[in-house]
Amino acid sequence: MFWPLAGILVGMLMGLAFPFSFPVAYARYIAVAILAGLDSIFGGIRSNLEHNFDPVIFISGFFSNAIFAAVLTYIGDRLGVEIYYAAVFAFGVRIFQNLAVMRRHLVERVQRHRSK
Amino acid sequence: MRRQGQIWITIICIVLGVILTAQLRTQAGIRQDIPTKRIEEMASLLKEAELERDALRSQLYELQIQTDEITSQEKSITAGIRKDLQQAKMIAGLTEVQGPGLLIILNDSTRAAQSGQDPNLFLIHDEDLLKLVNELKASGAEAITVNGQRVIAATEIRCAGPTISVNNTRISPPYAVEAIGDPAALESALKMRGGIIETMQFWGIQVQIEKKEQLLLPAYLGSHTFKYTRPVDKREAQ
Repeated sequence: MFWPLAGILVGMLMGLAFPFSFPVAYARYIAVAILAGLDSIFGGIRSNLEHNFDPVIFISGFFSNAIFAAVLTYIGDRLGVEIYYAAVFAFGVRIFQNLAVMRRHLVERVQRHRSK
Repeated sequence: MRRQGQIWITIICIVLGVILTAQLRTQAGIRQDIPTKRIEEMASLLKEAELERDALRSQLYELQIQTDEITSQEKSITAGIRKDLQQAKMIAGLTEVQGPGLLIILNDSTRAAQSGQDPNLFLIHDEDLLKLVNELKASGAEAITVNGQRVIAATEIRCAGPTISVNNTRISPPYAVEAIGDPAALESALKMRGGIIETMQFWGIQVQIEKKEQLLLPAYLGSHTFKYTRPVDKREAQ
């Protein structure tokens, strides 16, 4: 649980070190991509807790989810359909579901420790 | 197995952290740059333009005084013509004038609008000022200023967002309206039952009326060029 948080902090520090930012026009798509990435990370942590973590699935999922989410949002914008909200909704719901499952796993583990 | 998972997740988290920082920076840029910069830019442009206008206006005033001096110096102009000119300028509002009159100070209502009531009713609008000036004119006011802006034939009193525009100058409450004329006649016209003051006071608008023995009203300082209007030569017309 500690390592992913540390990873995000290290990444943010690295991001602060090199001062690059995205073009303003792409801010929406990057936001959706970040949401997709967060979803993948929570999914990864969950599967790690469930002992069926596969690095190939995890990494390919992270990048392809992020890229497809951004591209779909872009296409939606071109077509005048707010796919943006669909992406936010879908990833948001999954993030919360994964959080709930993770919480359950952790609680179960703590209870098992106590009962032992 | 679990160890390996944590390593991969951590690496991806680092990547996400980098993107996250860049995105936060972009968003901060959006928030800072566009609106405030534009507003500040516009505000400074406006301020500059207003300063320039004021400078030009005072220059114009000086030039008008100079012209007056030159005109009065010219001995060839007879006293009659000069008197006519003075009269015409007084009618047009181009000279400073003095005399007895009325000082009216208006301020927005201090009463809070109750729910369901339109808060606009408790503010002074361009219409209120316009009506007041109109009433003063109707009851024989000879010269009127609104917050120091001399009301002339071409003066507009118009809503300009949260302020009121008079002679293309924005003014805001409290509004001080000065009018030269018979103080008693002017006062009674305003205080008439069902008149303008009663209506405004009904909405809680603060109205103060003072009779003044001596009022000094400034001249109209704007420019007045006739682009389309040409005088008609009477001999030609006949």
